Amino acid sequence: MTIGIRAFRPRLEGMTLPRALITPHLMGRTLGAPGDRDRQREAVVAALELIEEAEQPGTFVELPGAYRAGRDARG
Amino acid sequence: MSDDVKQESFDEFKCSFAYGSRTDLNFKFLAGLPDREAAEFFRDLLWKLGDVLDDGQFERLVDHVYEWQVHAYAGEGKWTYANGPFTPLRKPLSESRLVLMSSSGHFVEGDDPEPFGIQNMSQEEAVKNMLKFIRSEPMLSRIPVGTPKENLKVRHGGYDIRGAQADPNVVFPHELLLDLEREGRIGELARDAYSFVGACSQRRLLKRSGPEWVKMFQEKQIDVALLVPV
Repeated sequence: MTIGIRAFRPRLEGMTLPRALITPHLMGRTLGAPGDRDRQREAVVAALELIEEAEQPGTFVELPGAYRAGRDARG
Repeated sequence: MSDDVKQESFDEFKCSFAYGSRTDLNFKFLAGLPDREAAEFFRDLLWKLGDVLDDGQFERLVDHVYEWQVHAYAGEGKWTYANGPFTPLRKPLSESRLVLMSSSGHFVEGDDPEPFGIQNMSQEEAVKNMLKFIRSEPMLSRIPVGTPKENLKVRHGGYDIRGAQADPNVVFPHELLLDLEREGRIGELARDAYSFVGACSQRRLLKRSGPEWVKMFQEKQIDVALLVPV
């Protein structure tokens, strides 16, 4: 099970991965912005659901919603 | 302007963000764009910045960068296959053992993989050594899940690591997976997670390292691997 960003979807599809969750996020922030625990969890839960639901190779699902910067965990 | 100052072309300017004088890995994609498109990126960025000055809706800047990253990285790349594997889940996830692996370049403080024998390599040095990295075998770091943030380091010459430094869970979601294990969503999270610098020899990853890691996961009786390429 792979989680990758939308920018890389064409490359991931070309690799014929078994299952992939595609996130509409920025490079280097695959699961969401720093500190945005809710969004990160949303992505991981969606990935776990895809593990259970995918029935054939090349099953790609896009995570709805958008990247939300500003909930910074920087100390 | 002094006659001694070298005139910089727009092409040189846009390429300077990709391992050049103005390296910023968020914008390294500019080097691959035609001048016309790179100019459009800057023009629209500044126009939107002007709007942000009035309404504070800085999300439009985030959206702008996101849209251009999607545009710039479009294309299948060179690793394409006609067919791919698929193994159905053999038991419920709530009874499965899951392992986390990311190509984020994280490692535990005190367990630096010391690429090329260099001690305490900085992020800046990693960026400067990118060519060496992409010709080299990847080095896998073992990271106990739940390792406190202050004990986790990240270093990777291929992407902007500031987000991953601030919050490892943006690309290495070990804490989230621990939460989900506690909630019973996952049967068991493997106590060792793994990370490596994905900017490595892809051929060696495919032919040697990858198969070795799969064998390791099989020996550890891993049912599911969650992969986060960065």
